[in-house]
This record gives sequence, C-alpha cells and structure tokens, in this order.
Amino acid sequence: MFGIKPPAKQGLRILIVGCGKVGNTLIAQLTKEGHDITVIDKNPQKIQDVSNLYDVMGVCGNGASFTVQQEAGIEDMDLIIAVTESDELNLLCCTVAKKATNCSAIARVRTPDYNKDINFIREQLGLAIIINPELEAAKEIARILYLPGALEVNSFTHSHAEIVKFKIPEGNILDQMKIWNIGKHIKHNILICAVEREGEVYIPSGNFQLASGDIVSFVGTQKACEQFFRDIGFDTHKVNDTMIIGGSKAGYYLASQLIQAGIKVKIIENDYKHCEILSKLLPEAIIINGDGTDEDLLLEEGIKEVESFVPLTGIDEENIILTLYAKQISNAKVVTKINRITFDTVIDKLDLGSVVYPKFITAEAIIAYVRAKQASADSNVETLYHMFDSRVEAIEFLIDKESEATGKTLMDMQLKDNLLVCFVRRKGKTFIPTGQDCLQVGDRVMIVTKHSGFNELTDILA
Amino acid sequence: MNSSMIRYILGNVIKLEGLFLLLPCVFSLIYQEKEGAIYLVLAMICVALGMLLTRKKPENTVFYLKEGCIATSLSWIVLSFFGCIPFMVTGEIPSFTDAMFETMSGFTTTGASILSDVEALSHTSLFWRSFTHWIGGMGILVFLLAVVPMGGGSNMNLMRAESPGPSVGKLVPKMRHTARILYLIYLGLTLLELILLLIARMPWFDAICIAVGTAGTGGFGVLNSSIAGYSVAVQWIVTIFMILFGINFNAYYLILFGEVKKAFRMEEVRAFLLIILAAIVVITIDIFSMCANLFDAITQSAFQVASIISSTGFATADFDQWPTLSRTILVSLMFIGACAGSTGGGMKVSRYVIQAKAIKNELHSYIHPKSIRQITMDGKDVEPGVIRSVSVYMITFFAIFVASVLLVSLDGNSEATVFTAVTATMNNIGPGLDAVGPTQNFGHFSDLSKWVFIFDMLAGRLELFPLLILFYPSIWKDMVSHRLRKSRKNKV
Repeated sequence: MFGIKPPAKQGLRILIVGCGKVGNTLIAQLTKEGHDITVIDKNPQKIQDVSNLYDVMGVCGNGASFTVQQEAGIEDMDLIIAVTESDELNLLCCTVAKKATNCSAIARVRTPDYNKDINFIREQLGLAIIINPELEAAKEIARILYLPGALEVNSFTHSHAEIVKFKIPEGNILDQMKIWNIGKHIKHNILICAVEREGEVYIPSGNFQLASGDIVSFVGTQKACEQFFRDIGFDTHKVNDTMIIGGSKAGYYLASQLIQAGIKVKIIENDYKHCEILSKLLPEAIIINGDGTDEDLLLEEGIKEVESFVPLTGIDEENIILTLYAKQISNAKVVTKINRITFDTVIDKLDLGSVVYPKFITAEAIIAYVRAKQASADSNVETLYHMFDSRVEAIEFLIDKESEATGKTLMDMQLKDNLLVCFVRRKGKTFIPTGQDCLQVGDRVMIVTKHSGFNELTDILA
Repeated sequence: MNSSMIRYILGNVIKLEGLFLLLPCVFSLIYQEKEGAIYLVLAMICVALGMLLTRKKPENTVFYLKEGCIATSLSWIVLSFFGCIPFMVTGEIPSFTDAMFETMSGFTTTGASILSDVEALSHTSLFWRSFTHWIGGMGILVFLLAVVPMGGGSNMNLMRAESPGPSVGKLVPKMRHTARILYLIYLGLTLLELILLLIARMPWFDAICIAVGTAGTGGFGVLNSSIAGYSVAVQWIVTIFMILFGINFNAYYLILFGEVKKAFRMEEVRAFLLIILAAIVVITIDIFSMCANLFDAITQSAFQVASIISSTGFATADFDQWPTLSRTILVSLMFIGACAGSTGGGMKVSRYVIQAKAIKNELHSYIHPKSIRQITMDGKDVEPGVIRSVSVYMITFFAIFVASVLLVSLDGNSEATVFTAVTATMNNIGPGLDAVGPTQNFGHFSDLSKWVFIFDMLAGRLELFPLLILFYPSIWKDMVSHRLRKSRKNKV
C-alpha cells in the first residue's frame, strides 16, 4: 500500500572524493542508479549542498588522508572515485585506498605531463581506470571535425562502429520519408536508432516518418556512416584546417589529434609563456599570442575562411559567444565545449550546433564501469553513452557466457518496449541484426533504449 | 513551494497512523473491550483518507528545508488531531482541548496528563496513550523514511526537521537505511526492556505500556502511582533504560559495529553520564535523612534524576516534598535534557557542551584579543553556523518560555506551578513542582493555558524552528499566491 517495491539490484558502496563538476554529475547519476554513495570534500559547504540535494553521506576533510577515508568507511567500499582538482591528489587518494582495502579505484588525471605515462601509472598503482576528460573531449571534438555534417559522433567497439547524430535540413531527401522506405531510395547499411522531435525522443519503428528539423541518431560502421552521409547529400570531407581558441589541456590534446590526422591547426592563446610551451609541444601548429575574444584578431587570423572553429577557453560564456559569432560571420563547422553551465534548456535553444560536455563524458565512462562491476558474470557493459539529455542510453555489452538472451533468434525473444538491438560485432565483422539473427557468446552487442539502469544483457528481456 | 509533496507526506503519515491504530484493537480483543470498535473504525478512516491523499505521487519530489519543516510540523499536528479522536469518542476524555493535550503530550513524549484517575481508562486507551510515546519518540517521519521509498535526496530535510540536536547526520549513505538502523536499535532496546520487566515479574500489560513509554522517554504510566507501586527491581530496570534511551543513538550504532571505545569517547555521552552521576550523588546526600536507608535513597534519587534528565517523567517519589536543593537540581536538569539524536527532550546536552566551549573561547579572547581558536567536538570542527544556531536556539527558547509563563500566569497559580509547568511541557518532561508535581496533574488549568502547553510541547519536541516557520507570513503568502496563479492559469 505504500508502493513498496522489492529493492532493485543491490547497489555498490562508492566513495567519491571531490564534489566539483564531475563529482556532482557522478553523484546525481549514481544515486539515481541506487548505489550507496559517500562523498569527501574539503569544503563543508559543498558537502552540505550535496547532501541536501542527493541521498548521500558526506565527510569533510582531505580525501587522501587515511583517517578521513576510514571515517568514510573505506574498509567496506567497493569503489573509490577520485575527481578532485589535482591529479596528484587523485592518484594519492587511490593509492592510499588501495593499500587499505581491495576496492577498485578510478582517478582523474588531466595534465599532459602524465599523458604518456598513463598506462604505466595505471598498472603500477593497480587502478581500474584513469580518466582524462580533456583528452576524451578532444577525441570527441576530433571525431566531429572528421565528419563535419554530424552534430555528435561517438565510437563503440573500439571505434569499429559509430553512433552519429545529425539534424535533417529543410528540403533534404529524408524529409517526409518513412524509415522503411529509406532502403528503396538509398542503399544503406545503417540503423536509425533514435529521433528527437520537438523535445520528445522516439525510438522509431519502420513506419516512423522523418521530417525536417528532426535530430536523428544512427549507428553503423565508420564507412557505412560516411557513405550514408554522402548519399543524403551531406559533406563528408573532413575539415582541412581549424582554429582553436585557448591553449588549455583540451586545446593541446585536440591539436595533437588533429595534426596527426593532417589537419592544419591554429591556436590562439592569451598567455605568452603558455604559447612558448605549446610551440615546443606542437611544432606543426601555428601558435598565436593574443586575446581570442578580440574580434579584430579573429578577423585578422581569418575566422571567415577557416573551415572549423573550436572555442576552448576556460569560460563557458565566452565559448558560447564565440560560437554564436563564428556562426554569424563564417561557414565554419563550430564545436563548443561546455564545462560547467547547467542551463541545458537555454543552451539547446541557442542552436549552437555541436556541443561537447567533458563532465558527461567522464561520468559516462565511470558509470559504464560501475554497471559492468555490478553485473553478474554472463555479460559486461563495455561502453555507455547517453543521448538526448540522458533520455536514451546506448550500451555496449560483451557477452561472456550463455544466458537467457543468447542462442535464440531476436524474433523469438520477448524484448522490452522502446529498445533496439542496433548492431552486433562478431569475429571482426560488424552487422545490423535482423529478426533471424541470434546473439552468441563472444559477441559485442549495442542496445539503444529509453530504459535506464541496464547492467547485463538479460535486462533487455521484457 | 512544493505543496503537492507536503500533501503526499501528510497522506502517508495519516496512513501510517491508521496502521498504528490497529494495535490498540488487539488489546481490546484480549480484554473484550468495546472501545476497540472505535479504534478500528478510525483506523479504517485514516487509511482511506491517507490513500486518497497519496493516490497521485507528485511529479516533482524535490523539496527544500522549508517544505521539510512545514511537512513535519503539519504532520505532527495532524497526527495528534487524529490521535485524540478515540479519547473523545469513547467519552474517556470528552473535552477536545483535554484530549488534544493528552495526545500531544503523548506524541511529544512529554507525559504530562490532565487525568486525575488513570486507572479508570480502558486497557485499549491506556495502551494507545502509552504507544503514542513510542511513535513520537523516534519520530513518525523517520519511520516514514524507513518504510516508504520517497525518492530523491531531499529526504534529509525531513530528518533534519524532526530529529533533535544542533546538527543532524546520517549513519550510512542512504537515508532509508539510516532510518531503518535507528528504528531497529529503538525496537531492539524496547524489546530488551520488555523482556527484563517481564523477568522482574511485572504484569505483562503494564510491562508493555511502561516499556514503550520508557522507549519514547514519554512518561505515561498505567497506575495512578506511576512506577512507585512496582518492585525495586522494576524501578532499577526502568531507571537504566531511561538513561539508555537518553543517549545519542549514534553511540549504539558504533557499539553495534564493535567500536565501543569510540562510543564512550563521544563527548556528549560522557557529559550526559557525568551530569547524571553528580546529580544522583548530591540528591542522595540531600534526601538521605528522609529515606529508610542508603540504598533506598540511591534508588529514589537515581530514578528521579534519570526520569527528569531523559525527559521521561515517571516518578517513584513525590519529589515536591524534597528539600529545596534537590528540587532545584531537578528543575535545572529539566532544562538540560537528553543527548541529541536520542528520543529524549530538553535542550540537549550537546548544545550545552558547545555553548560552554563558546563561552570559554569568548573568555580566552578577552585575554588574547587576537587569538584564533577553533571549537571542536569529538575531534571535529564545529562550524560557526552551528555555534550561532545554538545561541539563537537558546535565546528563542527562553523568549517563548517567558511568553508562555506570562500567558499561563493569568490562571493565578503559584509562581512555582506556572514556571515548572511551562518548563516541564517545553522540555517534554511531564511533572513539575507544586500544583503540577508528580502526584498532581494538568487538569486544573484553563483552556487557554492548555493550548499554550500544547504549543510548547510541540515546539519543544520539534526544536522550535520547524514549528515557528509556520508563523512566518511569507510562507503562506507564497503558497496562496502560487495557488491563485495556478487556478487562474487553469481557467484561461
């Protein structure tokens, strides 16, 4: 009578050190998934704020101190996640925790200095994951610049498959087309897995009619995605040059990625000393010392002609203004990085185009790990990706063992509503399954669903 | 203002009360009393009403401190309102004011009564009267948090509004688990006391009522002589459990997890036990000449001290006849009260500990004006916000106290009566001195005074501010204007 439901799966006991942007995003998501969260932060006010909003316990103090960790109950923890400002503190937190107990540890390490040592550090300190949000954000931005027609590009199964988001422009061939008719017009090998229209998200079936203005997500192999874009009349050439405002960590990571792919990079950075360092690290890039928010400087450096423009200053408001300015005066592909701002609805209205949120990228990677850790042994969450403000989840499973969801054709299984099995990667080949296909041990499977909290493959069954 | 969430919480509280009302029915079956039917009907009405109110779960489950406080205060008012109906319908306490006083005294674990002959009540009503202590002791909303999944993290705001003490923390990360642990400790200790009382050959019905009455640190007895009529063994069991229920429950949590040392190192618990010990010693010496022997003196003084400081209010002696020193000590103990995070009332030992440290700091700053000293408790820093709120609490407490004394003095009782009556109700103790002494009752006051006491009891139990916020005009203005705007929108 009180609406008591049997408790869902037993949550993990997780210790989060640092209540910053990423910390808060993690707390919000992990409490929603039913884990027991304890947080440590030096600032009592932050602890207070967090425990007012979420069902967590707070401990005030230095997260690397063993006494403080003990007070937070480190002995019983399943996982420690260190996401404070400082890389070194994060590593120390995890090291201390690992010595005290055999919990898993995740640390955030961002400084480029450690970038080459990441694997060494991870193995030597016995950490589960070292996450670098700036690097991940740079990778995501780079993927968008390789396929400028897309709003977002995310990779699955170690970059063998991609999930691509784009907006159907006016007068496009897809306008007013039903999904099952697409095959008649264009030979394609992709699967449309989610559509957002006027704020509502749909997981479309065959008779769903697309319209201009829809934001569509589809999956396929990298080649298939490119081919599909070409067929519907999108530009698929990667950009030739890019202008980056701000030589921050993300700027450096992005520049080095793009240079490797043969894209010309120009970085505008305000701090002279920092420019010198960048020029040593990135000899191929053009480093400009100047204020990136100066209109004249941007014009002088050719913002009108550049093919892509990425504002990466530390201030979100500046990034947004720069994006709007660039959209107004040039045809460049613009990608905006937003660190902190939470007014999503306002940002959506601004029509910025591609937006990258490093805090969500970090949180998704960690949540994927947590779900994999929570799952029973027969399958494993490999990658997790939230689409459309967490309303749709794309999850990649690696099937380890036989279960109720394997060995049967998809037609014979009773699947949940609002769920699509998007692709299967088997023995080096990626394909989109039909009703006759069945899932096998060793497969990697990607599921797109409006349900949340999937831990294992059998969760897809109704 | 999330008024639909407040409605939802209130609905759940009423539903829970409906379930609790079924327990007295069990006793009416055993004793073949017809009063049970009234409780059964009321239980069904409560459940139905609760169902009606909770039919639709609000979409927005987030609420802030103000909603938490309002929901808590309203819950307690509604709880007492429904709780007093059986007394009126059975005719045992026909007047609404008296019934409300008795029930509020029960839920707030005060134990002050308007009845001159308790033994005239039916067993059903006697049990319900004592059981209200048990419900109110740990708090109805904490119980609600333990059994009803509310969703969202804002539940902390409910706990903060209801639980006693200057700062409220969790034992484990999840609110629900914290609430469950608290209730398990509570239930466990209650059962332990019940078993010990039964071993001491107490009649089982009395044992149940006294056990739940001690657990909530309430003080309603089943005999007119309170506990004095029972054996010395029973008196000592009750003494020890009154002290146990006055201790911060965090200590029990620590003991459960094998950290006994840490539990006894809690400054508040130490101060609490020290105060008890000192008071017992002084009073024993003071009343020695009036008692048969030393053991009798210790038994009497220990029982009275434990009963007063834990804010229970049972009595084995008419301490109104004791020497002035002993009486003054007991009245002072009323103001101190039990530990934060216990089921007891009063102003809480931890507030005094913090305040004493603040005074010491203040003195220190006269000697070394530029010195900086952090106030700590149990090795942890006490934030300036907490120190400030402790001071404000104490001043507000005495402001309400003086106002209540003024209102009650209109009745024309002696100073001692008026002063201790307000003290005993605001601190949720029960008996005072003179005309409200252990052998007397509150029945002779005027209706106005009784309503003042009802307000004081609730204010004391909820620690003032959650109740006072109801009198803050902008809260209601917001709610009304919000409603108006909504209905206007609906019309358009």
